[in-house]
Amino acid sequence: MATVTLQNIQKRFGAVNVIENLSVDIADGEFVVLVGPSGCGKSTLLRMVAGLEEVSGGEIRIGAREVSNLPARDRDIAMVFQNYALYPHMTVEDNMGFALKLKRANPADTAERVKKAAAILGLENLLERYPRQLSGGQRQRVAMGRAIVRNPQVFLFDEPLSNLDAKLRVVMRGEIKAMHQRIGTTTIYVTHDQIEAMTMADKIVVLHDGNIEQVGAPLELYDRPANLFVAGFIGSPAMNFLNGKIEEGVFRTEKGLILPLPAEVSPAKAGGRPLVYGIRPEHIRASDQGIQGRATIVEGTGSEIFAKLDCGGEQLSCLFRERIDVRFGDTVGISIDAKQVHLFDKTTGHRL
Amino acid sequence: MERPLTKRPLIRRRTLDRIGLLFAALVMVSPVVLFFLWMISLSLKYEIDNGAYPPILIPENFAWSNYVQVFRENNFFLYFWNSVLVTGAATLLALIIGVPAGYGIARLKAEKAAIVIMIARMTPGLSFLIPLFLLFQWLNLLGTLWPQIIIHLVVTVPIVVWIMIGYFETTPMELEEAASIDGATPWQVFRLVALPIAKPGIVVAFILALIFSWNNFVFGIVLASRTTRTLPVAVYNMLSFEQVSWGPLAAAALIVTLPVLVLTLFAQKQIVAGLTAGAVKGG
Repeated sequence: MATVTLQNIQKRFGAVNVIENLSVDIADGEFVVLVGPSGCGKSTLLRMVAGLEEVSGGEIRIGAREVSNLPARDRDIAMVFQNYALYPHMTVEDNMGFALKLKRANPADTAERVKKAAAILGLENLLERYPRQLSGGQRQRVAMGRAIVRNPQVFLFDEPLSNLDAKLRVVMRGEIKAMHQRIGTTTIYVTHDQIEAMTMADKIVVLHDGNIEQVGAPLELYDRPANLFVAGFIGSPAMNFLNGKIEEGVFRTEKGLILPLPAEVSPAKAGGRPLVYGIRPEHIRASDQGIQGRATIVEGTGSEIFAKLDCGGEQLSCLFRERIDVRFGDTVGISIDAKQVHLFDKTTGHRL
Repeated sequence: MERPLTKRPLIRRRTLDRIGLLFAALVMVSPVVLFFLWMISLSLKYEIDNGAYPPILIPENFAWSNYVQVFRENNFFLYFWNSVLVTGAATLLALIIGVPAGYGIARLKAEKAAIVIMIARMTPGLSFLIPLFLLFQWLNLLGTLWPQIIIHLVVTVPIVVWIMIGYFETTPMELEEAASIDGATPWQVFRLVALPIAKPGIVVAFILALIFSWNNFVFGIVLASRTTRTLPVAVYNMLSFEQVSWGPLAAAALIVTLPVLVLTLFAQKQIVAGLTAGAVKGG
């Protein structure tokens, strides 16, 4: 186990700057998730840590070792790929023991370690099988087993659940997290799925266009997003954004809708500037009084009702936990929980 | 009640489709099949039947003597053995050189190197045969099988390299990355991961190189002496000065074709799998 330090990392492909100047500290034993939309540089960053991609500038340290110029085989890391990358011509046992075989470890010791890892992952009965004889979830487990057997300093995961169906993804998410809690190896996990990030991470690094937008614990990102990008990216369904200004102690949108303000915002400081008012759909409640809106979309899942309301020209997504009787075209009254409101500067995108 | 009614036309339609497909396939392969049948017919006819009009496909008396004659009158087993040695050595050497070369070119994306190899193949063999003949004479290699083995590499190496480039390009990069993370050196990545996965490609390259080398005629006719002839050259020598003895000639040609034919039938599945490997990428 080890800390991982990325310092002023840069990556250029020809003239294209993929990552400009990025620094992250990862503590020993921490589960860090790199999350962001496609093309944000998260996979490139992970591949640089793995040694599969050269660094154009900056330093990568694993523990006290500076590894930026070491080949992948000397970095003492293990990686789980999106398509598992199991060696198709080897059995599960050989797949898992491959790294130890390369190190010329004692065969009896290798078999012992493979067996132990197989026991952790429930693969004992599959050791003789070939990858093509396994289901997606089993392959995923073998790929994890291959990583565990090595007992490396760092685990790297590159979107490992993207090829699984929705149900299995939830199961494997839990298994990866449980495995981390059990062996405690420092882990860097890349995903574009914010639910995975929220449920698994000790710390989330939100990336966008090769820059870090925010680093923090999952709930911190949810409760206090640093800017419009993080606010829109974390949370599902996405946060409502309404453009407007603070006038006379209330927020007035461009289309004239009046919304409540949180107590800590001082109108004097923020008044006059163009702002963005952010409220998550789950922080809007049905209420007899308050703002009236006409339902343009209604989707019930049983546990909750998602509705899109047209409130005087402004579109508001709402997520009602209570069972209310609302149909397309109905008028619904809502109230906004002022404590849950986020305000952002429209020009810079930063949180006020 | 409704089901059988709707099902019957469907079955009839399918049978019709199948017959149509069979007919189309027959038309397309007929030139090859007829040619082959005629060769078999020739090899089993006496000289008198060959010139008959209307032509005879199945003779009344089979002339098995044609086959006996092939083995008796020529030093057939020597030529067969020569062919085995030349083709075997040229194919094996081509695999030893060509498979790593194909891997290197595929991984380094060195298309130019691949084109240079292709040009060596496209250059007409006759244009460099004479200089090579002089070179082998100077090296005192004429009279041995080495000149033929070496020159057959011109045929076999490009085939192997090109097939292997195509094959290695389709094997997922992640496997090799996983191996290098697992601690493999580049050589180990090639030997322990890339090579075993490329086995179907290697089989295809092996068989095609074998066929081309086995059937090669031009190099043999120039470079072979009386004792170093390969089979195609030996067959050519059945055309004697006074007359063409069609029966023994066809018999000899069939015997020459047989090993390659058997091998191809045997490995047909592998060839198809290898040639279409890029099309359907299985996990």
